[in-house]
Amino acid sequence: MATDITLLWASGSHACWRVMIALEEKNLQGYNQKQLYFEKGEHKSKEVLEINPRGQLPAFKCGDLPLNESCAACFHLECKYKSQGTKLIPDCEEGRALILQRVFEVNALAEKSSSVLYYNWRVPEGERHDSAVKRNKEALTAELKLWEGYLQASSGFIVGKNFSLADVIVYPAVAYLFQNGLSEQRYPKLAEYYKGLMNRPSIKASWPPTWKNAPKQETLKDI
Amino acid sequence: MAKDMTLLWGTGSPPCWRVMIALEEKNLQGYNQKLLSFEKMEHKSQQVLDINPRGQLPTFKHGDNVINESYAACFYLESQFKSQGTKLIPDGPAEQALMYQRMFEGLTFYEKLNAVIYYEWYVPEGERHESALKRNKEALVTELKLWEGYLQKLGSGSYLAGPSFTLADVVVFPTVGMVFRFGLSPERYPKLGEYHNLLKERPSVKASWPPHWLENPKGQDTLKDI
Repeated sequence: MATDITLLWASGSHACWRVMIALEEKNLQGYNQKQLYFEKGEHKSKEVLEINPRGQLPAFKCGDLPLNESCAACFHLECKYKSQGTKLIPDCEEGRALILQRVFEVNALAEKSSSVLYYNWRVPEGERHDSAVKRNKEALTAELKLWEGYLQASSGFIVGKNFSLADVIVYPAVAYLFQNGLSEQRYPKLAEYYKGLMNRPSIKASWPPTWKNAPKQETLKDI
Repeated sequence: MAKDMTLLWGTGSPPCWRVMIALEEKNLQGYNQKLLSFEKMEHKSQQVLDINPRGQLPTFKHGDNVINESYAACFYLESQFKSQGTKLIPDGPAEQALMYQRMFEGLTFYEKLNAVIYYEWYVPEGERHESALKRNKEALVTELKLWEGYLQKLGSGSYLAGPSFTLADVVVFPTVGMVFRFGLSPERYPKLGEYHNLLKERPSVKASWPPHWLENPKGQDTLKDI
């Protein structure tokens, strides 16, 4: 039941967004939720630490069960609510294999994006190197080309003809890139994917509120 | 069927090891496999790139299904072969949720370990800093203490998600195997030590133990002081 579910989240965090999309897709609207702010250090607050000792968001509970890792929450929700809402993992063998493959490949995409976008956040001033920045950008470019390739024959979803768990996990990472200025001309298939799913009810309903009126960043425009 | 499966792997690689443990647990011995060498850059060879454009190991195929991400392969094997071998995803909701939670925390654990033991592999010489390695070690210690706490709470003889061996153990044990291979002190981390001793006797783990660790039983001591 949605009322047994609690989510503490932050706007623009793609891990939080995945869980919110999954909740919408499984018709679990009405879950208890609270928006928190990283800038105010609220992810380290007592109410988060009580659910998630790592002091990270999302902090998520399904009944008494904490599931703070976003993918764990998504897998659990699909399993528990298999018979309601969208079927996020199909029964057929082939579809499932590729969905699982793409779900876990997102780690590489997210990691490479973060090493470019958050370089100055992650690396103290005395340890920064132009060579590292350059290498991180090249790695991200190579990664984006892979995903552009995966989407060549796409019917609007990452895998096959239906919205799946792969889209729940991948879409926020892709949206994040465009929010940070990724070039739609250079990555037309990714752009098509991004725009194509923008108005899907679950995605629209959970769109990061802080993005709605904010100008796009330009960090990735030259990638 | 095992005969329709192919695994390209490297010794001492936790992601490869995860898939091998899963295959053993699901009674899929007899799969086609080939041991490749990272040192000789064989993970970037054409035979790998033909299946896995990322040039990484493991590279795994079952018939036409290509699944190179180790977690994806483990989930896939459990769902395809649900009715044979060990049941790797428990039915009980609490145990299942804990399994998922620990599995995905396992990715963080693995990353923090690599940031220490493979610091020089990942970071070119001109960019290395003592301060960065120190920070990475501190992050690893914090992480190890978390896992020590998780095992403490569950009690002796427990697996990561409770009383049964699950996918959480399949994917996380190889990382635990690595930490002790690299010299972690079982005196300082007794619960992890106990867990390591429990799992290393399990048939699937024994059958897939990295061959070069058997050849050279003495590991490294990178982690002995942390």
